[in-house]
Amino acid sequence: MTCRRRFCGAVYALLILGYIACTWSPRAHAAGDEVDFARDIGPLLEQHCIRCHQPQNRKGDLSLATADDVTELGFVVPGLPDQSYLLDVVGPGADGGRPQMPKEGTPLTDAARQKLRSWIAAGATWPSDSVLRERSKADARWWSLQPLAAGPLPDPAGIPEAWRGQAIDRFVYARLAENGLTPNPPADRATLIRRVSLDLTGLPPSPADVESFLADDSPTAYEALVDRLLASPHYGEQWGRHWLDVVRFGESNGYERNVLINNAWPFRDYVIRSFNEDKPFDQLVLEHLAGDVLGAEDAQVAVGTTFLVCGPYDNVGNQDAVQAAVIRATTIDEVIRATGEAFLGITIGCARCHDHKFDPILQKDYYGWYSTFAGVHHGDRIVASPKQQADHAARVTPLREAQERLGRERNELDAQIAQRAEAKAEEYTAVWTRPPVDRYGTEETFAASEARYVRLTVQGTDTNPHLNSGFRIDEFEVWSAESPPRNVALASLGARAEGASRRAGDFTDAYGPQLTIDGRFGAEWLAAGPQLTITLAEPAKIARVYFSSDRPRALPPRHDKTTFVGDYRLEVSLDGTTWTEMASSRDRKPPSDLHRRQRLLSAEMTETEGQRLAELDQQLAQVNAELAAIAPLPVWWVGQYSGGEGPFHVFLGGDPQRKGDVAQPTGLQAVTRLAALPEKISAEAPEHERRLALARWIVAPQNPLTARVLANRLWHYHFGTGIVDTPSDFGYMGGRPTHPELLDWLAAQVHEHDWRLKPLHKMLLMSQSYRQASTFRQDAALKDADARLLWRYPPRRMSAEQIRDSMLSVAGQLDTRMGGPGFRLYQYLEDNVATYVPLDEHGPETFRRAVYHQNARASRVDVLSDFDCPDPAFAAPRRAATTTPLQALTLMNHPFVLHMAEALAARVAREAGESGAQPVGRAFQLTLAREPDATERSAAESLVQQHGLTALCRALLNCNEFIYLK
Amino acid sequence: MSIELPSSSSDRAAYEILSRRGFLGNVYTALAGIGLAHLFSRDAGAAEAAWRAGAAQTHFPAKAQRVLQVFCPGAASHMDLWEHKPELEKMDGQPLPGEENLVSFQGQNGNLMRSPWPFQPAGQSGKMFSTLLPHLAAHVDDMAFLHSMTSKTNTHGPGCVFMNTGHPTEGFPSAGAWLSYALGSANENLPTYVAIPDIRGEPPNGKANWSNGFLPSRHQAIMMAAHQPIRNLRRPGIISADQEQATREFLSLLNERHAASDPGNTDLPARMAAYDLAARMQMSAPEVMALETEPASVHRLYGTDDANPLKAAYARNCLLARRLLERGVRYVNLYCASRASGVDGLLNWDAHKTLKPDYERHAPVFDQPTAALLTDLKQQGLLDDTLVLWTTEFGRMPTHQVGTTGRDHNPDGFTCWMMGAGIRGGVCHGATDPFGRRAVDPVTTIWDFYATVLHLLGFDHTRLTWYHNGLDRRLTDVHGALIPAILA
Repeated sequence: MTCRRRFCGAVYALLILGYIACTWSPRAHAAGDEVDFARDIGPLLEQHCIRCHQPQNRKGDLSLATADDVTELGFVVPGLPDQSYLLDVVGPGADGGRPQMPKEGTPLTDAARQKLRSWIAAGATWPSDSVLRERSKADARWWSLQPLAAGPLPDPAGIPEAWRGQAIDRFVYARLAENGLTPNPPADRATLIRRVSLDLTGLPPSPADVESFLADDSPTAYEALVDRLLASPHYGEQWGRHWLDVVRFGESNGYERNVLINNAWPFRDYVIRSFNEDKPFDQLVLEHLAGDVLGAEDAQVAVGTTFLVCGPYDNVGNQDAVQAAVIRATTIDEVIRATGEAFLGITIGCARCHDHKFDPILQKDYYGWYSTFAGVHHGDRIVASPKQQADHAARVTPLREAQERLGRERNELDAQIAQRAEAKAEEYTAVWTRPPVDRYGTEETFAASEARYVRLTVQGTDTNPHLNSGFRIDEFEVWSAESPPRNVALASLGARAEGASRRAGDFTDAYGPQLTIDGRFGAEWLAAGPQLTITLAEPAKIARVYFSSDRPRALPPRHDKTTFVGDYRLEVSLDGTTWTEMASSRDRKPPSDLHRRQRLLSAEMTETEGQRLAELDQQLAQVNAELAAIAPLPVWWVGQYSGGEGPFHVFLGGDPQRKGDVAQPTGLQAVTRLAALPEKISAEAPEHERRLALARWIVAPQNPLTARVLANRLWHYHFGTGIVDTPSDFGYMGGRPTHPELLDWLAAQVHEHDWRLKPLHKMLLMSQSYRQASTFRQDAALKDADARLLWRYPPRRMSAEQIRDSMLSVAGQLDTRMGGPGFRLYQYLEDNVATYVPLDEHGPETFRRAVYHQNARASRVDVLSDFDCPDPAFAAPRRAATTTPLQALTLMNHPFVLHMAEALAARVAREAGESGAQPVGRAFQLTLAREPDATERSAAESLVQQHGLTALCRALLNCNEFIYLK
Repeated sequence: MSIELPSSSSDRAAYEILSRRGFLGNVYTALAGIGLAHLFSRDAGAAEAAWRAGAAQTHFPAKAQRVLQVFCPGAASHMDLWEHKPELEKMDGQPLPGEENLVSFQGQNGNLMRSPWPFQPAGQSGKMFSTLLPHLAAHVDDMAFLHSMTSKTNTHGPGCVFMNTGHPTEGFPSAGAWLSYALGSANENLPTYVAIPDIRGEPPNGKANWSNGFLPSRHQAIMMAAHQPIRNLRRPGIISADQEQATREFLSLLNERHAASDPGNTDLPARMAAYDLAARMQMSAPEVMALETEPASVHRLYGTDDANPLKAAYARNCLLARRLLERGVRYVNLYCASRASGVDGLLNWDAHKTLKPDYERHAPVFDQPTAALLTDLKQQGLLDDTLVLWTTEFGRMPTHQVGTTGRDHNPDGFTCWMMGAGIRGGVCHGATDPFGRRAVDPVTTIWDFYATVLHLLGFDHTRLTWYHNGLDRRLTDVHGALIPAILA
């Protein structure tokens, strides 16, 4: 991206510039107008040219880093500006328009061009030590790259005793005080339990929970509540969902095909389990990048590498080698970005084509990572310990042997019969007098016959005698016996065609039988059953049919896209019940050796042999059933790791066809002074060692980024906004920390607690900063409208999942079963590519928590998508909270919400009766964790009286308070 | 479909803060608040320019008020529809010079294959135009052809997404979403941005083509078509109008009291306004879809009652598009054909196998209704300030695929065209080489295309940005230059 502040003039401005440039004539170089390379020329080239013309990019094979190319290619002829091509290309274009260079961005000003001219005229001196490069805005001194600072805890004057007791509060209070702000008093208990319950578990507290918390006046009541919620399995569901956002976990591959991936869910369960078990985060990182190495014996560790392959990738298959190389590079790029952003908060992807423009990340770093991930391939594999594999083999092997034995016997018997048949082949084949079926056109003529119906029954396709569907017919003609004959099967004459066809859910007629009588070729009926029946508009005397699967001869005769009818029977009927066979393929030559053999076999086989074959088939079916009943070894979407051997190169300009310097595995040059990769890791090390080395570097205690980024994520989810408000970007383009010292203190706590998160959660939740009320104060808002400094607990809208799960929960419909394959709120259609159609009716099988929804890319699901559940095309380190009329339409009208309103009403009636004050109070308790005030109560009672409890519940599920957390 | 949020700055950070907090009617609070917030965003003092996103303001005066983008997915062949190639006709059956062993997306290519349809002069300009599109030929004098378009990908899904979002990977905002973000809504009762999928289904990569990407979700296109009303639009049958009214009144009471407890949070009134807008949409959307109110002559012009059900369905969508545009919808993304299917070339313009029968299937569906829509827009005077774009994801090869009479994917050269507001009609900018294989100078990119579109809409494409995962993102990525040759 070009510099964010760059103002690229509007086009008319450019045109005016161009015009001025045209009328401008070179003036003599004024004496005393000294041009200094370092001061005048270097910065000019760096600003306008170096982005494309640098050694890592070399557009047009020109680098402007040093004088070499410039003089060698004659761009500059020292002393002779008029012969220097450089001045031509930056000068006005032929028609007075845009200069040829720079191709993008702002053209050089007249003054700049004049400087270049003067410099060339003066001999174009380029000091040999002047190497030009595009400099990033931030260098290694950038705040997030510094070691964690361990300053003293602040002790601001006037800090209340309750705030003084905890480090977090001291930092927060100090910052407030600096800005003349004070915090709010503590939140009331009902608000607090709703806040902390939704925050930790994603679910609202039950009325009983609220009641007992309100009744417990012991000083440790809140701490006990926090401990209980942290120990709840729902904690892992809520916080695991956060992490799945960060690692862009999605269960379809995206791009054109976007097919569902049905075995990635074990990773989702692993994440939830890891959070619930409070697995140290450094361990999680190691497992994410190299679980296959660390967990060769343990599927629950190996599954971590799903992280590498749960992003979108292009699997369409491309025969064009150049495009295929770009696709591969883009696939690895996606892994590199995900790793950099999730763990380190660095946007390393920006260094794919050139050094990072804003952060000190080199293109060499990027390709070092490329070499690290070069062995990553998207896909699944068996994830099982050696013991599991042995146990499985012990059960499967005997059955496989039986399968083989029966198969062998069957083949031998077949061969015996075939041998006998072969001896009599002449006799059998003598009846095959006609040519075989022909995809380009197959004809049957017969004695003229009166017919209303014509039926083709297929016994086998022309590639497989045992398969009677899956063939295609592009046209099926039925010719009348009159002169000249007419094709009476045409739909335009009123005929109809029927036959089972492959279904494309979103366009039902895509492959339908009507295509056989539309009078055109090119589109084919794709049969899903053996019969095609044509009903003529009226009875006609017919004498010939003609059909094909590739009439225009578009493809070679055996192409797999024109599979045709093999063995068939053609019948006609006048009444649709009595059929007369007019022709069949019995007297045609077989379309293949397979067909020939099959025909010979059935002709020659004795009754005993037939019985024996049937027995064998039955036994085989039995064995196959037993095999199928054995649970297969788990095959999970954890990626495949192989190859990836070097040497690796920088791709100049990001183009795999243009190789630059050799790349070696590395961390990040700007951080390696603090934490280095092990010396011995090179591009020659096995690919898993390269990944493991990078993982170890990421979690090295000296690496300041990882712990900072992690601590900030916790803060972000607890308070709604992070100390840094761009949780996956700690670079120049990201936000700056509101509380840098606090962030470093928290990051140090990460190490202090051995990367366990629950102690950190507890510190945050026990702080007064977290427990204060969210009451609005005009004076404070004037200074800090967003409450980034936490003069109040910032209220926020709940996430899509929280909203949906809360509805299920208060309606008493939530299915709390954890784990396993996900449910779907869309109809999945796969016809070459995938289509996702959101469901109108959500059945009880979908009433599990939203984290178990199989989130596909580029699909939209009412409720979830409407409330900003992100498309996992990218990582979503922070969620949007937008407001749209679609949300209103969904919450008011979608059958799911109505269903929940009804279920909630039924629950309220069950627990508190159907009329009077009781049910109204209960409905408020369940949805808002509070009692209604007098105005609300009377309005609610009158609504219930006129329109029933469901109307009240529908309103409560729609109200702002229900979907806000404060 | 946008909640208008007042803001005081063009800067992304400020916009975002505002859109999150939305300081309706409390300007002094907002300004003071931003002051502090800016201490923590990357550039203090960023609030310098006068332009505000989402407030119906442009960077400079706009030629176009709205956009109609017709998209023919499947890679509609440039040399069979738009760009006449006499040399290709002469060299029919000969090897493609210099690329005798060309391997492309699906594999090996055969020799050159001329277009099965003759071209003939059309309009005052006499542009050679395919006889496959007789109705559209009547409009050539208003069209500006970009004959040297190029793409970065030869795969449909990424190609479609690239053509719509400026990026071949999904997850980026589409042009309509950018416009919605830039301008906000022009109609209080209808969506700002509408995608009309074909009756045959969604295009390759589906909804990613009209996604809001990382922009706030209110900028996504609302999907609707003559055959497919907006989701969840209708009040459920079991709820009476009375009950609906009473429920909404009670809801308002709850929301007003809740909002009063937190006057600093203008998300709350914004959400209440969204409920009102939704209610208005429930009234106005069925009205816009009431095609039967159009005179019979209009239906005949479009072909809405054609015997070909695909053509009739597309014609109804064309008519719907006009009704949306005239009611203030800013961006209509209209599709003619759908995704790749199990039979190449059946559901869209992807004629790998049998070019002639395929296109003789697709062209009649596309031709008359599209031409009618252009005629209608012109007659209604809408064309003066409506920019019409015709797009496809890439072109096709001048050769046939080995063993077929179809053409493979070609990202190196294809045609798009524009017409209407601010466009010089009857112009052909750029060309492919004599065979149609590659775009030749001046080559245009999808980024140039959108730099020009945004220019006509009053925006400098380099200044319409949104921060996302480390970058200020643009519709034109880091590229794009205006194409002055096609401007009126």
